Amino acid sequence: MPFNGKSGKFNASINTVEVGCGEKAMKIGGENVFPFYTFDAPIENAPKIGVMITDLGLENEPAGVKAYYEGCTTLGEIAKKAAEMPGADFVCLKLEGGDPNGANKSTEECMAAVKEVVDAIDVPLVISGCKNVARDTELLQKAAEVAQGKNVIILAAREEDYKTVAAAAGLAYNQKVGAESADDINLAKQLNVLISQLGVAPANIVMDVGTAAVGYGFEYVVSTMDRVKAAALGQNDTQLQMPMITPVADEAWNVKEAMATEEDMPEWGPQEDRGIGMEVSTAASVLACGANAVILKHPASVATISKMINELM
Amino acid sequence: MALKGLDIFKMTPKTNCKECGSPTCMAFAMKVAQGAVDISKCPHMSEDALATLSEATAPPMKTIKVGTGDAEYSLGGETVLARHEKTFVSKTRFAVNVTPDMDVEAALAESSKVDYDRIGERMHAEMVYVEYTGDAAAYTEAVKKASGKGKVLILGCKDVEAAKAALEVCKAEKPILNGADASNYAEMVEVAKAADVVLGVSGASLDELYDTTAAIEKLGYKNLVLDTTGATVKETFANTVQIRRACLAKNPDRTCGYPSIVNLSKLAAGDENMQIALASVFVLKYGSIVVLDKMDYATALPLFGLRQNVFTDPQKPMKVEPGIYPINGGDENSLVLTTVDFALTYFVVSGELERSGMPCNLVISDAGGLSVLTAWAAGKLSSTSIATFIQENVEPKIKCRKLVIPGKVAVLKGDLEAKLPGWQIIVAPNEAVQLVKFLKDLKANGEI
Amino acid sequence: MTLFDRVFSGNDAVYGLTETAIDNAIAQYGEDQAIAFPHTAYSLPCYYAVTGTKVSNLGELKAALGVVKTLMTREKRLNDAFMSGVATALCAEFIEVLKYINNETPYEEPCSGHLPDATIRELGVPLVTGDIPGVAVILGAAPSKEEAVDLVKSYQAQGILVTLVGGIIDQCQEAGLNMGGAVRIIPLGKDVTSVIHAVSVAIRAALIFGNITPGDAGNLMKYTFERVPAFVNAFAPLDDVIVACGAGAIALGFPVITNETENIFRVPKSLIVQEDVSKFNATSLEARDIKIKITKIDIPVSFASAFEGEIIRRGDMQVEFDGSRKDCFELVCTKELTEVEDHKFTLIGPDFDQMEVGSKQQIAYIVDVAGKSMQADFEPVFERKFHSYINCIEGVMHTGQRDMIRIRISKNTYEAGFRAKDLAEVLYVNIKNEFDAVVDKCAVTIITDPDECTKLRQELAIPAYNRRDERLTSMTDESVPVYYSCIMCQAFSPSHVCVVTPERLGLCGAVSWLDAKATNELDPQGPCQVITKERVIDERLGRYEDVDEAVQKFSRGAVEHVTLYSIMEDPMTSCGCFECICGIEPFSNGVAITNREYTGMTPLGMTFGELASMTGGGVQTPGFMGHGKQFISSKKFMKAEGGVERIVWMPKELKDQVAEKLNKTAKELYDIDNFTDMIGHETIAPDPEPPLALLTEKGHPALGLEPMM
Repeated sequence: MPFNGKSGKFNASINTVEVGCGEKAMKIGGENVFPFYTFDAPIENAPKIGVMITDLGLENEPAGVKAYYEGCTTLGEIAKKAAEMPGADFVCLKLEGGDPNGANKSTEECMAAVKEVVDAIDVPLVISGCKNVARDTELLQKAAEVAQGKNVIILAAREEDYKTVAAAAGLAYNQKVGAESADDINLAKQLNVLISQLGVAPANIVMDVGTAAVGYGFEYVVSTMDRVKAAALGQNDTQLQMPMITPVADEAWNVKEAMATEEDMPEWGPQEDRGIGMEVSTAASVLACGANAVILKHPASVATISKMINELM
Repeated sequence: MALKGLDIFKMTPKTNCKECGSPTCMAFAMKVAQGAVDISKCPHMSEDALATLSEATAPPMKTIKVGTGDAEYSLGGETVLARHEKTFVSKTRFAVNVTPDMDVEAALAESSKVDYDRIGERMHAEMVYVEYTGDAAAYTEAVKKASGKGKVLILGCKDVEAAKAALEVCKAEKPILNGADASNYAEMVEVAKAADVVLGVSGASLDELYDTTAAIEKLGYKNLVLDTTGATVKETFANTVQIRRACLAKNPDRTCGYPSIVNLSKLAAGDENMQIALASVFVLKYGSIVVLDKMDYATALPLFGLRQNVFTDPQKPMKVEPGIYPINGGDENSLVLTTVDFALTYFVVSGELERSGMPCNLVISDAGGLSVLTAWAAGKLSSTSIATFIQENVEPKIKCRKLVIPGKVAVLKGDLEAKLPGWQIIVAPNEAVQLVKFLKDLKANGEI
Repeated sequence: MTLFDRVFSGNDAVYGLTETAIDNAIAQYGEDQAIAFPHTAYSLPCYYAVTGTKVSNLGELKAALGVVKTLMTREKRLNDAFMSGVATALCAEFIEVLKYINNETPYEEPCSGHLPDATIRELGVPLVTGDIPGVAVILGAAPSKEEAVDLVKSYQAQGILVTLVGGIIDQCQEAGLNMGGAVRIIPLGKDVTSVIHAVSVAIRAALIFGNITPGDAGNLMKYTFERVPAFVNAFAPLDDVIVACGAGAIALGFPVITNETENIFRVPKSLIVQEDVSKFNATSLEARDIKIKITKIDIPVSFASAFEGEIIRRGDMQVEFDGSRKDCFELVCTKELTEVEDHKFTLIGPDFDQMEVGSKQQIAYIVDVAGKSMQADFEPVFERKFHSYINCIEGVMHTGQRDMIRIRISKNTYEAGFRAKDLAEVLYVNIKNEFDAVVDKCAVTIITDPDECTKLRQELAIPAYNRRDERLTSMTDESVPVYYSCIMCQAFSPSHVCVVTPERLGLCGAVSWLDAKATNELDPQGPCQVITKERVIDERLGRYEDVDEAVQKFSRGAVEHVTLYSIMEDPMTSCGCFECICGIEPFSNGVAITNREYTGMTPLGMTFGELASMTGGGVQTPGFMGHGKQFISSKKFMKAEGGVERIVWMPKELKDQVAEKLNKTAKELYDIDNFTDMIGHETIAPDPEPPLALLTEKGHPALGLEPMM
């Protein structure tokens, strides 16, 4: 008597969202099974990988990242090179320079960066802010305008500023709205409802339901993502059927495991290897929990995760 | 929970005799219902009741014990497919792969360098997977070298005689004999039975694995683990998920109710990053034992962190030990900040403090492992709890008399000033991300 | 003449002008002459939005005029007037587009004429977010230059976008007012037809931001009515053309406010006569239901949650108000909209600077609120927030509530200039901001006069508190039309749903039915949702189809059935924050209750912690349930199993806390006196054994009841 497992295919499915334009446009979402459960039903759109670059250039990046971009002098060249990274599907520009507690660049400077990247690449683009809500409200609203016609994801609209960011991205300039909430299924849903009420079509929304590096409260990420997928597919909750995008690089490279130098922790071994390990593990984990796209930065991580996705699909 | 506590209670003698170790029959019944206690602990159950209850309360997935002494581990025993439903009980264990043609001792010594403590838990690769390569004598030699190191051995060996010989040198350590397949299972069952060890079963396909397991169960051996490793990553994932899903389904298929072994050393040999990626996937998706080429910090730090997060009670947050945590080289003259012992809060706050670059002391008092507002609402974080901790533990060690409290409990400021004479109480912003700027401003204003 | 006659006559006049203008243009340029507004993808936006047809040359424009004619029906019905208004607007658009033939810039500074799409996208975002709370269209010349400027500035100060048409442009220019897009004052043009450029903004906002399909006039008007907060201020004299244009505005949902009194017809909410131009602003905002967000509290000291925990010591104190010695109170009163003048402050009695330093004084503050959705049930919800509002003021300390408050104001804060009006301002701003969903108007009265305080406390405040208390105690599950769900705890207890009823508050003890109701009304997408109770299955158990459906939905399928009143059959789940746990004690046919603070053993053989681990987490455990302390004395407490007479054991401290109310309930339900004397506690029954001896001795009713299982 052979193994007789019941199929876990659902009647509901995740929304398909198309990002970018032209030949390189990509589709995320659309599946009606749990992540990588291809034995239940085929998954049409494999999860996608984005490469994060920032308007501050490469100064603070690890050696392997610097080496990859060797010879690039302008942000446009960096963006072009990021788009060509083996295994990458899209680019994510983080406007880190806008942080008022950091470089505190002017909005004009930040928008020049957006323009430069938009002009340099033909792959889909995600534009993310500097994590300072007040500043991001302004930057992302403008970025939606500057990137008109490119069908980018604006990451992200949050509870505090969703009206401005979602109205600019989702209504005024026909971009995709990334809805960001912090590790709570009900907050994620509420934000989707609010953004929908503004008039943004569900097909134009993706979710960032919150993330952390593995080891840092990652159980909340797991449970939130598990529950979102279960509600979207099992309960046909249309307000949670938006595909999920997870920025991994920022979290993974900003914990002690990746930041402690080899002098500080000699027994831990090479610092960059640890950063890659954190990035790879966090990315693989969020993909296993249902992320439809992840944002990474190290070429070695991108290569590994791309290979993993290919082998699992 | 197949049976509710009250249904079980009805079948108890209702005498509160305490012979089961529980103070009342009700308490006993509730524990049985939760799976915390076996029904056979009650000496006064009728045969009928026992038979009914054993069947109904038996967990769908067996708990398999391997190893001995400090190196004894439970595998399996899971009751749910997602951690938010109920705690995952048996952590994924990591094994390091060795073969007879390697310098086994050197390899193990290298991997054993990874052995550290993370929030109260020892982190190291708990197992060694010794792979058979065709030379029985060399194999026994390798097994001998790997044994006695405080690790659980897994013998990856399908040769009956070689397995028998290898078990002779290590069976006292209760290893796993991962060697049964469709061609040899009858003999392997005998070998495993004789040595009283857990038997690993594998198959060329999921159907073959299933049929072989069913056949072994028929032979009366149920001390098993299932090697779900297939020819490809995709097949391995499919096997591992489907087996777990079948045994935890509404009508459990108990033939699938065993822990799993996933051998990444086979699937992604030599590719450390790929092994980290896949190991992460299998920590989340139902790998009981994951076999890796080696264990170093680049692998250990993410995987053990992930595992520690995932195998937690969804209703009980992780806690850090109360104490004074110096940050950026904080000393007795450095600023004191306090927050709760909820691990997530601790990590976020300490991360921001590290980012600030400012030497300081983060003081953690016992707040029941709750977040700031929850702990305050529950009375676990109060002016008294903070003041007592500061007076007993901080004042003898730290000279600085400036204490920064979380913005969300600004309301405690007045009380704290009254209870901590000599201290200046400073209220921090509501969110940790604002800390860097806040400290910068304090410094700029000359307040610290 | 009726209003209909005026609209029709104005419409006819404009139609005639348009026809002539188009004919002349065709004669001059030929039918193939291209026409377009610059920088828009929406052709003639108004005509395109209403009909779905793009117009690109004079020939097509002539044809379009024929379509406009079909709107001009002449029955004296409201719809005919509205459609004639729309027709008038479309004619205006046609006349305006002719100005752009062979000329991209027919308008000169300061007038803008047609606005490009880019401006709409830019303005649209703050309009959607409410950062631009409204759009004023001001038409004609104000009675004086000063009044013109004052009105424009009053809107500007509120962040409202102002568009100007006609004589007011010259008035503002003469007065030297800085105008332009950057300061959100946009002069459109001096001809009345240039008002269409304001309409065009509203219409394109609907097309761009509302995804309205061109030609879907119904949804277009719905969108502009619901989402574009525009209104018209039209100065006298109004001719028929302006009246017809006004009808068009009203058709889009934009009220018209005018100071014209001659030959005008008032239409409530739509055509409003306000003779006093200085009140145009307030009248317009009320008519269009525009609420202005206040971002900064204008007081001389800081306002922040960091000050919430400040303690003002006697020596630092300028003045103290002490409700335990003097007559003090705080009260929210719901009023009619007409009874409240927004942001009015009244002080009865001396201000803080007339009080002796360090003295004890009386104070009372009455906050009158009015709003279309305001309910008297919200009063205590607002009132409870006063404590935190006032405490957040630097150098002010507040404790207590109702008529037992105490407030201290520090010397530093007093010296910074803090006075009664500042206290009022804090209350006003916070109430308006936090409860903007239900509060349209708010006025604060502060009373420091001793006689008034005494009088109002006795005559106004105490009766109000009593009324509320009565309402609370008299409210039963049967007396309310709906219950509420509460899922605030789902972050850590994913499948748990509280069903909050008047007699069964949330099991954390913190969410009453009124709280849940207020939470729902103030945050309709929030954690508290309405649960209907129309389809009863079993009254005794409290089993409803509606409740089951709600619980299934909010638990995402994890819990299928709950009863409100039974502990044995599908009891309500528990999250983990419950104050108490009640568990079945089989030997006495009763239940034992233990509370979070009590760490000892119970007769069940389990401690609170052990009980919590099997009761919490959103699972149903028949025989056990978590609940709030107050629920113990509820008549609905496990009503299905007989009610409170099943209680056989409680920790002493808990018993003392609930004794008064529980005894009252037992007396009412079973005519038992001093019921709590019959209930065991830890010193009577320290062993994990049921207190059977006590129960027998006292004749506890549970012993005589049916076994629970």
